Amino acid sequence: METIKINVNKQMDGYSFSVTPSVRKLIKSLSPNSHPANGIFVAYDTKSDFEHYVGKLENYIYPALLGIDNQDELKKAVNKVLFIDTQTGKVLAELNP
Amino acid sequence: MKKNFPLYLGKAGHLSVMSEFLIRGWNVAIPEVDIGDDIFVVQDDNGTLRRVQVKTSTSTAHQNSFSGQFNVPIKQLRDYKVNFPVYYVFIVRHQDGWTKPIIIRQDYLRDHFENEEMGSQHEGNLNLYFSFEEGKVECSHTNLSKYIGDFTDFPLIED
Repeated sequence: METIKINVNKQMDGYSFSVTPSVRKLIKSLSPNSHPANGIFVAYDTKSDFEHYVGKLENYIYPALLGIDNQDELKKAVNKVLFIDTQTGKVLAELNP
Repeated sequence: MKKNFPLYLGKAGHLSVMSEFLIRGWNVAIPEVDIGDDIFVVQDDNGTLRRVQVKTSTSTAHQNSFSGQFNVPIKQLRDYKVNFPVYYVFIVRHQDGWTKPIIIRQDYLRDHFENEEMGSQHEGNLNLYFSFEEGKVECSHTNLSKYIGDFTDFPLIED
């Protein structure tokens, strides 16, 4: 069971979620049928209201990012997912699959 | 050595790397204002744009090898934009020629730094010491040979 760190990077027109190559490799080894992505970009509508999105999208982001569509498989491989602001190092959200 | 030699070395390195991209069919541009991205590399047909940071070094000769030293700002390394990563291109001036470019995408370089303890930190910079021996490149015991001339993300553009 692993703790996975997802990097969150705020940009002017949206924000991105990404995992490092070593995390992708780890996920692939834990779940050979998975297809982890490099990253997902969520574009803002008209303004940079990052805080509006925090706490709402994470549950949908990490299965897509890690490329595991089977919830049971996900629970077997990962016990904690941390969303970390790459600029500050602050943990923005913590989830338990 | 010429006064301000590092400036000349850096610019020569930029131009050398730019010529490599051009010969592969990618267009290149230098931003009018230097904000950390050395070169923009563009695929004209579809507008694919990549950010490239060129790092140059002179070589230090050893008995059977040589080395080059580079600095990468850690803040920039951590500022990873999924849709717009930086590609670091490292070249060393050795024996009147340039080494083959070592091309490492930002997330891979960061991974080597954070998970394999590659390089050392000093005043906000990641100091990298590349050792070249018999066609191989290592940094802090991490084998970087797979990145030598790795133009995977800059494929040859042909009609």
